Amino acid sequence: MIHAIKVRVLQGDPIIHDVRNASLPKLYRGLPVIEKKDCTDSCKKCADVCPTNAIKLNPVKIDLGLCVFCPLCEEACPEKIIHFTNNYHTAVDSREKLLVTQETKIISPEKASKKIRDYFGKSLKLRQISAGGCNGCELELNALSNVNFDMGRFGIEFVSSPRHADGVVITGPITKNMSQAIDICYEAIPNPNVIILFGACAISGGIFQNSKEIQRKFLEENKIDLFIPGCPPHPLTFINALLDWLDKK
Amino acid sequence: MISLQVQNNEPFSIDEISFLNRNDFQATVFEGLTSGYRMIGLFPINKLHPHKIISILADSDTSLVYLIGGEFPKDKLEFDSFANQFPQTNYFECELSENFGFNPINHPWLRPVRKQNIVLGNKPYQFYKLEGDEVHEVAVGPIHAGVIEPGHFRFQCHGELVYHLEINLGYQHRGVESLMLNSNAQQRIIISESIAGDSVVAHTYAHCNAIESLSNTQISLRVQMIRSIAEELERIAMHLSGLGGIANDIGFSIVSASYGRLRTIIINSLAALCGSRFGRGLFVYGGVRFDLTDEIIKQIKNNLETVKKDIASINEYLFSSTGALIRFEQTGTVTNDFASEIGLVGFAARVCGIELDTRINFPYGVYRYFPVFPTILQTGDVFARTHLRTFEIDESIRFISEQFDSIPKGDIQVKMSSITANTGVISIVEGWRGEVVHVAITDNNGKISQYKIKDPSFTNWYGLNLALRETAISDFPLCNKSFDLSYSGHDL
Repeated sequence: MIHAIKVRVLQGDPIIHDVRNASLPKLYRGLPVIEKKDCTDSCKKCADVCPTNAIKLNPVKIDLGLCVFCPLCEEACPEKIIHFTNNYHTAVDSREKLLVTQETKIISPEKASKKIRDYFGKSLKLRQISAGGCNGCELELNALSNVNFDMGRFGIEFVSSPRHADGVVITGPITKNMSQAIDICYEAIPNPNVIILFGACAISGGIFQNSKEIQRKFLEENKIDLFIPGCPPHPLTFINALLDWLDKK
Repeated sequence: MISLQVQNNEPFSIDEISFLNRNDFQATVFEGLTSGYRMIGLFPINKLHPHKIISILADSDTSLVYLIGGEFPKDKLEFDSFANQFPQTNYFECELSENFGFNPINHPWLRPVRKQNIVLGNKPYQFYKLEGDEVHEVAVGPIHAGVIEPGHFRFQCHGELVYHLEINLGYQHRGVESLMLNSNAQQRIIISESIAGDSVVAHTYAHCNAIESLSNTQISLRVQMIRSIAEELERIAMHLSGLGGIANDIGFSIVSASYGRLRTIIINSLAALCGSRFGRGLFVYGGVRFDLTDEIIKQIKNNLETVKKDIASINEYLFSSTGALIRFEQTGTVTNDFASEIGLVGFAARVCGIELDTRINFPYGVYRYFPVFPTILQTGDVFARTHLRTFEIDESIRFISEQFDSIPKGDIQVKMSSITANTGVISIVEGWRGEVVHVAITDNNGKISQYKIKDPSFTNWYGLNLALRETAISDFPLCNKSFDLSYSGHDL
């Protein structure tokens, strides 16, 4: 008994009370900002070093769906116009919005339809499918249920069976070997449901975009509701995405 | 023994390897395995010429790695399987057969490694099946009940007792090794970071060591120390994550939540160092991207102090609970004999009385000057696998503190020279799970022509098979978590 009390006292109050405005370490690489400045003639250093071809030129734009948040472009730019901030509010509801331009200051998802908010606003149960994920995204999704992030307090939880789920969270570039399993799992989820892509691999294939072993047919056939960019995305990015999308405080 | 002997990270010229004919190759590999060496690789020297293969054997006693070459007639890629006498070679032979069409004659159990249910010659694979009264089969996966990676498990049971477990993986196969050959330098580092997301530092460390050795780049002591600090932080974080998982699997939620809290502190220390909670972005060829400032050192020191203080109470609570001990003790036992026969590595081997730790046996980087003192346990059960991880956390905390006290000034990056042509290197790193082996070989133009990765999970999944025998099926989640193996590291 004394051990239990001791451990409970040590536990203290580790929860992040304000998930909307919690601050992350200085070096954390979140939403990039691109300064409004002209590039020197025909400089394409940032695009050349980008490991996932996430950068479009003239003017410079970064596709967060492909970006793995390594700071190579920031380092390579001679004019220092690219800068990764530690803003973790990076999720959106459509693929196009992931393109960060010189005008982009903040990005956020649109509110979900009234029907979705009515159904899932108070309780959302999700089934996670790892389809080639390296376990980085999986660890961050697991962290959502720990004492620090405690996503359960917002009524959002991961469940075991797809039949109990209101939607799927997909991680990984979707390998050929998982393509059948993902179809079967999705079929078992009742309608209406939501599909969330978590991490660069799931959104675009990321660093594995050119692999012959991936098969992304599932994403072409289904409408995606939320895109959570990152490699892996921070748990706070996920929580905030859902709170914004479901229009919770 | 006709072979080329090298050390960890010592580059060798391809011309130095003598390629033996089938009989001599078999005899030499057999001799090496008989001497107690452990196989850590068996693959063609060049993907395009699969008839020339190398077998890599490691001798922990002398810190030497032996390379034995074999050349086979192009139309007759076959050799007598070693797996009947040396079960540890079984999976390597399966992999060689699956990827390059080799036929290991008389192989006891040829099965798919990453392809789904197809073995040599595209024959459909039949799972091992037990028959008899009251025998039943349980199939689980690929999608499991939690937020974890996919894999398929088949249990042959009699009532609650498991007689045989077969693990069928490959769902995570992303073609990492092929991508390595077709990628540029920046991409290769990002790919290394994504081999196993829980072992980012270990895999990237092994990769950078390999490429730096191939180009004769000397990195500063300061860089070596920062790299080891990151590696030990990863070890502490994942051991805490594993301990939390084990506590969760026996329904001990307060302990699970407490370990989880400490893990967050540690991964946030990694984030303070490099911006990523998993150590992504820290490694570059020839150094590290971020320097350790006094402010960061102070912060990490404080965090380690908290962990060191709190974990003692949590451990005491967990290991004094009879409810926990009854689940841990004598559950999922792997004997010392079995462990060495199947070539277990890492902490799963160290709990079976096997003294094997790359940091001691094949030292690299800063571990050559600052040794670690691994603990060896004997019982090989869930209890030992759990308890050992608490010791390893203590040792890593001690090691990091020692590094902070002795870190010299120096550059954090040096320019890398060009990669030598026709050269190979074997790079071994002790990740938290066990030895991570990267082998890189270059062609005439200095382009990487073969890249082979062995995650500790590749050998250790077989240990889980054995641990489950004669164990109740309800103990499977606990046994699985006690090994804490990687699916993506195995599937590549």
